Amino acid sequence: MTEKIKIDFEKTLKNSAFSEKDIEFKMKYLNKFIESGLPNRKLENWKFSDLSQIIQKNIGELSFYNDYSIQNKVDTSIFVDGLEHNKIIFINGRVEKIDFSYEDHNKVKIDDHFEFRAESDNNNSLLSLNNAFTNKCFRITIKKDYSLKKPLVIYHTTNNKIKSKNINLKLEFELEQNSSLRIIDLLKDESVNNFINIFYNFNLKENAILKNYKIDKILNKNIRYLFNNIEQQSNSVSETFILSSGSNFSKNEVNCNLNGEYSSAFVNGIFSLDNEQQHEIRTIINHLVENTKSYQLIKSVLGKNAKSAYQGKIFVDSKAQKTDGYQLSKAILLDETSEFNAKPELEIYADDVKCSHGSASGSLDENTIFYLMSRGLNYKQSKELLINGFLLDVIEKITDPEIKNLVKNMIGFKE
Amino acid sequence: MLKINNLNANIDNKSILKDFSLNINPGEVHAIMGPNGSGKSTLSNILSGKKGYEISGEVLFENKNLFELETQERAHKGIFLAFQYPLEIPGVNTNIFLKTSLNAIRKANGEKELDAIEFLKLVKEKSKELKFDEEKLNRQLNVGFSGGEKKKNEILQMSMLSPKLSILDETDSGLDIDALKVVSEGVNSLRNKNNSFLIITHYQRLLDYIKPDFVHVLMNGKIIKSGGPELALELEKKGYENFN
Repeated sequence: MTEKIKIDFEKTLKNSAFSEKDIEFKMKYLNKFIESGLPNRKLENWKFSDLSQIIQKNIGELSFYNDYSIQNKVDTSIFVDGLEHNKIIFINGRVEKIDFSYEDHNKVKIDDHFEFRAESDNNNSLLSLNNAFTNKCFRITIKKDYSLKKPLVIYHTTNNKIKSKNINLKLEFELEQNSSLRIIDLLKDESVNNFINIFYNFNLKENAILKNYKIDKILNKNIRYLFNNIEQQSNSVSETFILSSGSNFSKNEVNCNLNGEYSSAFVNGIFSLDNEQQHEIRTIINHLVENTKSYQLIKSVLGKNAKSAYQGKIFVDSKAQKTDGYQLSKAILLDETSEFNAKPELEIYADDVKCSHGSASGSLDENTIFYLMSRGLNYKQSKELLINGFLLDVIEKITDPEIKNLVKNMIGFKE
Repeated sequence: MLKINNLNANIDNKSILKDFSLNINPGEVHAIMGPNGSGKSTLSNILSGKKGYEISGEVLFENKNLFELETQERAHKGIFLAFQYPLEIPGVNTNIFLKTSLNAIRKANGEKELDAIEFLKLVKEKSKELKFDEEKLNRQLNVGFSGGEKKKNEILQMSMLSPKLSILDETDSGLDIDALKVVSEGVNSLRNKNNSFLIITHYQRLLDYIKPDFVHVLMNGKIIKSGGPELALELEKKGYENFN
């Protein structure tokens, strides 16, 4: 891989207009990535999903060079119906459109080539890879006291022009005091066997509210990694919802630093997987000051040879008294080949805290199925009703009513 | 309507029903009384199509071999089992469940499915009759319901689906006297010359409210005696142990 990545990197530099400083930054991270390589199961964080092996098996050799000089045509038929929204459209990793036409333009600031910045903590080789190859990093700032009128839908689309490619995206969001933003990430792929590596960085100032709904629903053969870093000042709220279902492999990581008092973080997720799919959610919630709160609920429904994993860590600093931390994961295994792994971790250095975790898994209850069938429902209907019922309380955690309905429709909930 | 001939049922090599025979005609109410472990619940489970039993013998429902029908097909044909222990189903709204069930049965019988408005009208009417708290219809199915409410919910379902053969498996257990009356009225209102009932109970008390045409005593998987309502009174007096 080393020779290939170096050649692709040279090619990328030749075809882009990075400043010297950018190039220096990128070189540094390229070397860092080459040193560590793709993550594998020897790393604790990756013990349930060996990315290096998964890429080797499904893609073979990756190509890191992407030609971003040609504009792609935006297919407007992919737009969400019946929901007025702002848009950012990625096609094969290239930003094709940024549209905040519903908003006050003085209140939303878009920087398209601010300087790349080094992150403080970086043992994550995928972040190094992202830093080395990201074409453009946009920063979107929501000004003080402004709430976006409409949600922002970020379309992550790919088409069949790319294959065996590594695509890297990065977005930064700055939510100033008292501002709020709703983001829906919609993944829509027509390509196969690519590795897509997405980093978001959120900075929430006092009283800011972020709601991020990640929807991976459409079946596709891509391998995906998504990382959300969320920094929160006092009284800020972050809500992350993950529907993890469409991609062949997917790993969502959420790292959340509760830096300000009375800040809170919610992470809720659904794995709905079948036929050899393998997905993971890993969260780290750092309670760093007093009176912060976190809540996590993850549910899995797993079919034949499907595998999901949830690694949830709650860290409570010695200063963080009165922390309230909770996490629960549950799984329904539909087949004897289904596999669910849970690794809850509580690391607590304060004494006046309330933290709990739980995990349970099992198969569909045959007695319940019999009860439903004795009322005239066939096996398929009974199973669907039970699965929907099982997943409902995760969906109900979505605090935005408009988006809750959208998600319900996407999953096919009937009412 | 229902003909059971020499039904034998085993579970894990243990024989539960032994050459059990019973004949129920349209419009009749039969009560089966028996001590714990006599095979009462096994009988209701087998009639509803629960899996896991080794079965021989013959059961005909309207001259059709019941064993060739899946559980839901039996429900479509008009067999209803009121469960001894109704199940709690988290996340499933009671109204949605009732509507799905009713429409599945209507559809299977070539009848028009009810829309939301028609359904609500019907379910309101029936809940009122059974003094079933309407607010509960918007809750998760049986979750947090008291024992009595769960049983009433079974009778509400029965009344919504208006089955031809209703099997009541110890519906009286866990009911207070008021609830017992309401439930019995619900059953009695469904009685007509076409509908039949099989009432499984330990106690004679329920039969004060729902007058059976026939009473059968089930012991060790076999009917040992059949008679009219007076048999229940005799049984109550003597107890199961001395009855033999």
